[in-house]
Amino acid sequence: MSRARERLERRVGPRLVVAVSRITLPARTAAALRRRRGLPGEVELFFAFDDPCSAVALIELSERLTGRSVELRLRPVLRRGIPGDPAVEDKRRYAIEDARRLARRSGLELARSQPLAAEEIGYLAEWVAASPPQPALERFCVAAMRALWFSGEGPVERAALESLWREQLASAPPVGGAESVSANERLMSRRGPYDVPAAWVHGRWYFAHDRLGQIGEWLDELGWRAA
Amino acid sequence: MPAGRVEFFFSFRSPYSYLAGPRAFALPERFDIELAFRGVIPMVMRGQKVPREKGLHTLRDVAREADRLGMAFGRIHDPLGAGAIRCLVVSEHAVDVGREREFVLAASRAIWGEAVDVATDAGLRGVCERAGLSWADARAALDDPAMLARVEANTRALGDLGHWGVPVFAFGDELFWGQDRIEDLELALAQAGLSLP
Repeated sequence: MSRARERLERRVGPRLVVAVSRITLPARTAAALRRRRGLPGEVELFFAFDDPCSAVALIELSERLTGRSVELRLRPVLRRGIPGDPAVEDKRRYAIEDARRLARRSGLELARSQPLAAEEIGYLAEWVAASPPQPALERFCVAAMRALWFSGEGPVERAALESLWREQLASAPPVGGAESVSANERLMSRRGPYDVPAAWVHGRWYFAHDRLGQIGEWLDELGWRAA
Repeated sequence: MPAGRVEFFFSFRSPYSYLAGPRAFALPERFDIELAFRGVIPMVMRGQKVPREKGLHTLRDVAREADRLGMAFGRIHDPLGAGAIRCLVVSEHAVDVGREREFVLAASRAIWGEAVDVATDAGLRGVCERAGLSWADARAALDDPAMLARVEANTRALGDLGHWGVPVFAFGDELFWGQDRIEDLELALAQAGLSLP
């Protein structure tokens, strides 16, 4: 490696990335213009129903955004992670313990000790991805996550989740959401996050379960404070 | 003799390890524990992939966290390769002379907050001297294969625990991954009755 390239990769590049990340004026200006047009703020949450950390993030974000003029856009995905990651199984196992600790901070008790298989509950992502954003959809997702992760270790009953859907949205679950899930996965990839739960908040992304407080601080800085 | 033991797996190439360092080394001031420093070889040098997006996100996220913690961050010299290995080897020497806290904190701050090139003798010497280590002894450690063998053993130990990244804290059968899980470790230490009066 040439000396110039080494300097670029080891010093200049990282320093530039950090310096640019600290510039907030464009995001704050865009937020102010958005508010002037009467539009709410937006938090897009890329999440997976089979991921316990997504469950914690979704439940907590839904609660914490109450009272702010901010919409939670729910973007379920199935495929995520680093391609060819040799630690993927270790990560899935560790996520259970990690989510258990995070949930306790929120006064919740994780009921499962084993990961859920993504393919067994893929229909949930399809239902949600195929539906337009609305408060009832958010309520369904919160209720579904509570049912999946905080109410027992038993098998997941599709019929029970369908009942939950009807209860919240007063209709049958939609069909044909697979393409919408793929679109979410492509959007997540374009935005940068490579794993879930990831929150995209007006130009910044956060691992949502780790950075709930920081998401709130960023919304405060952008002017979407809690009422 | 401390009543408990916490192993602290750390990489000089991990900015999250840098963020964890001051709070980790302060744990024995509040809990009756021995904090065992275990420096490990960077993930990329262990054959694990780190996609570009992960690298970018890490820099941005750590910048925000460093600001929150009041730590210097941004004047960086990536130590991947010789720099990281040299720091790991010298940190083993620092453990032997009881100055690992001083060395690890000084070296990681130099890398992530002061753009010091620890792959050079000039860079590493300055860090050693700031940490109260003799440069002659540190230099001798760099040529001692037993020191590198200890680093490799630390790295294998992390893998044996079923873990991949750093910082990781091992306490009993429990693992705590991430600088933002120190509060959970503190809770576990308190629940184990290890809080100091």
